[in-house]
Amino acid sequence: MSIFEKIAEEVIKGQADSVKDLVQTALSEEISAEDILNNGLVAGMNVVSVKFKNNEFFIPEVLVSARAMNSGLDILKPLLAEANVKARGKVVIGTVKGDLHDIGKNIVGMMLQGAGFEIIDLGADVPKDKFLEFVQKEEADVVGMSALLTTTMIYMKEVIQALKDAGLREKVKVIIGGAPVTQSYADQIEADGYAPDAASAIDLTKNLLQQ
Amino acid sequence: MMQEGNIPVIAVQADTIPRAYEQAIKEVWEKGISVRTEYDRPGDPPSRDATVMIVVHEPFRQPRFHRSFADGLGGLAEYVMEVVHGAHDYWVKPLEEILKGTESKDTRWTYTYHGRLFEYRIEDEVINQINAMVKKLSETGFTRRAQAITWNPKLDPPTEDPPCLQRVWGRLCEDGEEGYIFNMNTHWRSRDLFKAWFENVIALTTLMRKITEAIAESINKRVQLGRYVDISDSLHIYGSYFREIEGDPERGIKSFFEKLRGRSFEERTWHSDFVKPYFIDDGLGKGLKPMLEREKDMPDPVKRAIEKELRLMEKEDHIV
Repeated sequence: MSIFEKIAEEVIKGQADSVKDLVQTALSEEISAEDILNNGLVAGMNVVSVKFKNNEFFIPEVLVSARAMNSGLDILKPLLAEANVKARGKVVIGTVKGDLHDIGKNIVGMMLQGAGFEIIDLGADVPKDKFLEFVQKEEADVVGMSALLTTTMIYMKEVIQALKDAGLREKVKVIIGGAPVTQSYADQIEADGYAPDAASAIDLTKNLLQQ
Repeated sequence: MMQEGNIPVIAVQADTIPRAYEQAIKEVWEKGISVRTEYDRPGDPPSRDATVMIVVHEPFRQPRFHRSFADGLGGLAEYVMEVVHGAHDYWVKPLEEILKGTESKDTRWTYTYHGRLFEYRIEDEVINQINAMVKKLSETGFTRRAQAITWNPKLDPPTEDPPCLQRVWGRLCEDGEEGYIFNMNTHWRSRDLFKAWFENVIALTTLMRKITEAIAESINKRVQLGRYVDISDSLHIYGSYFREIEGDPERGIKSFFEKLRGRSFEERTWHSDFVKPYFIDDGLGKGLKPMLEREKDMPDPVKRAIEKELRLMEKEDHIV
């Protein structure tokens, strides 16, 4: 088994300490940080993502794997920055103002990160100004909004309007999700896409950025 | 054979929480009635629903954690702190907003279980019902009057999301060896079996252990945890979850039951030893340590209670 396969396997198993050790070993063998990231950590999370999509993995297991991936990524981050390695895309993500539920948003964030995207997680209860600030500052490719309540999902429309008013709407794709959200609501508020679950959010993001 | 329109009544007994959870899902899925709910979205099939009593004989027996729940382990730890220590009581909106019912624009919460159990408001008084239970049981262990309620008939009916848990009841029985067993029942109006039951039970059994310890300290005798009984008027699997339960063979998506069959019981559960480090810090911004750092507005007494919990968790023999 190659070192990449070993790293991927330990990510799938959620073994954070082993991932750290294996990443260090790979670096000591002069393997580039980018190769370790793509062929080890991301490859492992891709398997997790497929298993989750196929209903073979439970949600907490995905997060345990994400923690393992992060433990390796923390070692690689300064080296990736030094080598000027770019992520697949930059996603600003948050649960909208008035809503404190963040489980779905966190899972989507973790899985997008595992798919090679850079995530700027604004947390929960995020006002539109904060979305705007980070979309602009980070030059985000995608903004992802989540809401768990019918009373808070209406705020998504306000964020989209604010993006339009600030002249940013054409520069960023908007995706939405959450229990009460539907494709029809996404169409109504002119979001670029809706995902009914975390696995679909990954495919949606990839597809939107390929357009 | 019950006439159509009668809600089935199901009883489940198991030694551990994960076993009880799996059996309950199987029973409700196979025997539940189809009923609509206020939370259905357009196009969702009706929920599968039953009145269910679940007995867990040893709530802290290992493996205590099922891997099927809608959060991470760090998030689960935070929920336990919410129920047991009131970590999110400060997210509840002011009374004048609660009284507006569905007209309120304030999206903060209308209640927490901790708030209702530990700080129930009635006639301008605040009652700590859990302390009252401990006191009552310490004085008269066999009493049938030690209980704590959550429902507020003035505040709850007009809201969109009233409490599911209705009542916690407890009784002390002699163990035949000069000690006692604390028996606890919880009563629920309504319950999301697939995505909430397990987390609820982890929190409520942690509360059960706190009550047991408080009684033991108060009477200065050994008190052990007894069986936990969980009674729901409506225990349901929402129609929106059917895709996950049934799977989609054409798209290679396994059903929930295939997922269970495809692994051993050990491979679909976790022991408390595995879970504990994630409860402390899950490495993804959740867990007790990140919670204390993140939630700056949490009142100091609550922070201190969670810090105390953290110190307990750092002890090797403490089971979460």
